[in-house]
Amino acid sequence: MKKEDTVKLISAEGFEFVVDKEAAMVSQTIHNMLTSPGSFAERQHGEVTFPEISTTILEKICQYFYWHLQFASVLIYMSFLTLCCSGKETEFPIEPELTLELMMAANYLHT
Amino acid sequence: MKANFDLVSLCMEAACESRDSVDKWRRQKRSLERLPSPLADDLLRRLHTRRLLYPSLLEIFKHSAEEIDVRGENSVDAEWMAYLGAFRHLRSLNVADCHRINSSALWAITGMNSLQELDLSRCVKVNDAGIKHILSIENLEKLHIAETGVTAEGVKLLASLKSLSVLDLGGLPVNDMSLNSLQVLKKLQYLDLWGSKISNEGSAILSMFPKLSHLNLAWTSVTRLPNLLSLEWLNMSNCTIDSILKDSKAPLAKLVLSGATFLNEADALLDLNANFLSFVDVSYSCLCSFYFLSKMKVIEHLNLNSCMMGDDSVEMVACIGRNLKSLNLSGTRVSSAGVGILAGHVPKLEILSLSQTPIDDAAISYISLMPSLKFVDLSNTNIKGFIHQEGTQQEASPLSLTALQNLTQLERLNLEQTQVRDEALYPLSTFQELRYIYLKSTSLADISLYYLSSIPKLISLNICDAVLTNYGLDTFKPPATLRMMDLTGCWLLTKDAISSFCRIHPQIEVRHEFSTKAPIDQSGPNRSSLSRLTTRSVQGTKNKGITSLSPSFIDQRLKYTRDALLALQPMPSHLASDHEKDNAVFE
Repeated sequence: MKKEDTVKLISAEGFEFVVDKEAAMVSQTIHNMLTSPGSFAERQHGEVTFPEISTTILEKICQYFYWHLQFASVLIYMSFLTLCCSGKETEFPIEPELTLELMMAANYLHT
Repeated sequence: MKANFDLVSLCMEAACESRDSVDKWRRQKRSLERLPSPLADDLLRRLHTRRLLYPSLLEIFKHSAEEIDVRGENSVDAEWMAYLGAFRHLRSLNVADCHRINSSALWAITGMNSLQELDLSRCVKVNDAGIKHILSIENLEKLHIAETGVTAEGVKLLASLKSLSVLDLGGLPVNDMSLNSLQVLKKLQYLDLWGSKISNEGSAILSMFPKLSHLNLAWTSVTRLPNLLSLEWLNMSNCTIDSILKDSKAPLAKLVLSGATFLNEADALLDLNANFLSFVDVSYSCLCSFYFLSKMKVIEHLNLNSCMMGDDSVEMVACIGRNLKSLNLSGTRVSSAGVGILAGHVPKLEILSLSQTPIDDAAISYISLMPSLKFVDLSNTNIKGFIHQEGTQQEASPLSLTALQNLTQLERLNLEQTQVRDEALYPLSTFQELRYIYLKSTSLADISLYYLSSIPKLISLNICDAVLTNYGLDTFKPPATLRMMDLTGCWLLTKDAISSFCRIHPQIEVRHEFSTKAPIDQSGPNRSSLSRLTTRSVQGTKNKGITSLSPSFIDQRLKYTRDALLALQPMPSHLASDHEKDNAVFE
């Protein structure tokens, strides 16, 4: 994996998640940080720190990025065809305990 | 589409999955305090629609929610209000139609400075005592108390709510005195006084509201309206009108005078400032002359339903037809010749209703000259589907509906209660954009279904009271887009045939007396039509239609005696009585 194709997401506790740029770009906020003109520190170092997001939540978000790349476009297409799909393997599981925090983080990241 | 799979929506879904999942997150106080209000409002709304919301759960949103809409919820009572009273940022509260709310329940929301909008419409237990609690909400801008138990005295008290811009007092016994005390409300823009006891004296006070733009005086005894400088929207339905807005400069855009009586017809509407008037409804009014129309140069929507309009006045409509988008001429005396006068003058017309008019097939060729039409209602007319020519047999006559092929945008067509028969429907099979078709006739048979099956974009097919057979339904190949089929009153179809059709085409919602789905909702949105007629008038034309059938017409039911007919299949009692009535006509 080339360094230019990845981005490092850092949680409030300092844990680092290295993910594909393509995956991270699922978030509109990260997309803007990495592509907007000018010299954002994020763009230069390929690192984004989220002092508000805990490690558990950031991990879940990274999982969502990859889930979205893999399944969401398919699901959108399937729902367009009004096919019903109940397969558990295509669902993105969210533990009820995480919903509030994850919701707020997702809202901030525009995903 | 994407909204369904974004992470916020997925979290909302997970959070509202069940009572257990709610219990898992409801104790996270710190997170709940930080929840941004749009998320909190959305979460509350979803919990409410999934019926997971109960009073004590409300408490967790007291730091975050800004909008609460629980209208029509029967369980909302004083306990709910007690929790809602603790909300620190609540901006809008809608508890309309919550019948358990009474005046003392409103005590809980006294002094809520954040509250700007409050809707208590039809909370019948709220009375003047409740108004006293509301008075402490100083920043209130929008208040709806229509059809509550508030009296004229209670309305007087509202004068102290100086920020009010919207005030809905519909159905309350507001009198001139109480309106007089409200004139200190200088910010008022919207005032609803339908059904009140306001008289002309009271209407004179209305000019004291400098910003008033939206006024409803329907069902009052007001006959004269003063010069209201900023009025844009006026409803004086079912009033007796002497003069309104005489020589006014008011930028009136929408005028509803449905069912109104005019004392001095010639003047009443001629003096209006019609420069901005885009919507006029004078349906069921007793207007006889239509000279006032000539001033309405920018009009887009005109409703003349059941007016005394004949072909001689159609010229007035043609003159202002340039911007017209919808025109309702139902129940007027306009004939085919009148439609001919309109043709060529209404380039933007999208909706045309000619239901219950004396038009015949000649009108169809004129209608085909109105290029933007999307919805045409020809129900309850003498349309036969054939162009009658002297000396030719009906079988050899050209089909009149062919002309409608010129209307490339036609989406909806209503031919209910006309004399159109199977063969005449043949041209419809080539209509490219047709999505909704309404047919209701005892003379349509299986062949009609065959013709209709080749309409490429058909979504909804209503073919009521027809003599369709099981075989016809079995062999019917519905277009792929079809989602709704109304077969109500097709009495030859059996339960088995309907259920096997539903099984083969699960995507189609079938309505029939034997259909297993929910009972037929006559007032549902899929029911026809643009001309929602009064029951009385429908009955009138129905009878006329049957008696005026041509002698060559043979009802299929005449082949059977009434007893044999009833023995054919067990019908629900209400349906049987319907058919008895019809048979009585033929006997």
